Amino acid sequence: MTATEKVTRELTGIQSADIEAALDPAEADGIYRDSRECAALALFKGGYGLLLSPPTPRPKKG
Amino acid sequence: MEQSGTSSLLKGAVQDLASGVVSALRSGDHARAAALERADGEAEGLAPAAVRVLGADALLPSTLLHTPPLPDELAVFRKAVEAYPPGDDAAPTVLWSHWAMRHTLRRHDPGYVGGPRQEPDAAWLEGATWQVLTHQLAVLAALAVPGEDCAVARAARHRPVDVARGFVRAVRRRDWRQAAGAGRWLTLLEGVPQTLGLENGLDFVELMGGQDPLVALQVSAARLTRAGAFA
Repeated sequence: MTATEKVTRELTGIQSADIEAALDPAEADGIYRDSRECAALALFKGGYGLLLSPPTPRPKKG
Repeated sequence: MEQSGTSSLLKGAVQDLASGVVSALRSGDHARAAALERADGEAEGLAPAAVRVLGADALLPSTLLHTPPLPDELAVFRKAVEAYPPGDDAAPTVLWSHWAMRHTLRRHDPGYVGGPRQEPDAAWLEGATWQVLTHQLAVLAALAVPGEDCAVARAARHRPVDVARGFVRAVRRRDWRQAAGAGRWLTLLEGVPQTLGLENGLDFVELMGGQDPLVALQVSAARLTRAGAFA
C-alpha cells in the first residue's frame, strides 16, 4: 500500500473488515417464511398473479 | 439500525457505481466508463473499495457486451483486486468474490498474472438448505455469467428447482436484492419450472425494487442474458 493509499484509507475510514462485511451480508429481514407455499408457487401454481398476491394474513397475537 | 459513517459512505459509493453499470448495460455504449470515473472523482479513495464490493460486476458491461474496458477502468479494477485481498478467515463469499474479480481481470487484461487461478472451496454450498443456497447465490450473482463455469455455478445448475423456490421466497419476503440475484442465476439454469413465471417475476422485482441500483443491475444482467446480447 502506498503512502497516499494509506492516508486515503485513514480519511475514509474504510478497512478490509468493512469490505468483507459488505461482501458477506446476513439475509435481510423478511416477513414471509412459508417454505411449503414457496415450493408450491414455484412448482405448480407460479405466475405473475400469484407472485403479486400479498402474503396470507396472519392472526394477530393477543 | 443506524449505520456508521464509513458504512454509509461505502454503501453510497457502491450504489453510485452500480448506477453507472446499469446505465452502461442499458445503453450499451461507453457510458460504462463514466461509472468508475465518477466514483473516482467524487471520492478518490472510495473508488477501489466500491469496486471491490461490487466485484466482477464493475466490469459487467465489458464482459456481457464484449467491449474492451478503458484503461482507467481496468486500473481501478486492478487496484481494487490488489488492495483488498481476502483475509485469512474470510467468508466463502469473500473468497469467491475475489476469485471472480481475478478471473475477470485475466479475461480483460491478459497482462495480469496475479493471484492463484485455483477456485476456492465450494463445499459450504453442498447440502445447504434451499434458502441458504439462494441467499448465497444471490450474494455471488456476479458469478452468473453466460458461458462461465465454476463450482458455484455447478452447484446452482444442480438445484434449479431449489433456486426457483428461493426466488419465490425472496419475492414473497420482499427481499428484492436476493430476488434479483436469484433471478439472474435462473436465467442461466436449465430445468427451471416453466410455471415459475420468471419473466414476469423479474418485471415485478424491477417494478418493486428497481430504484435500488443493485437490484436494477441484477435485473439488467438477467435481461441481457435472456436476450442473448452477449453472444
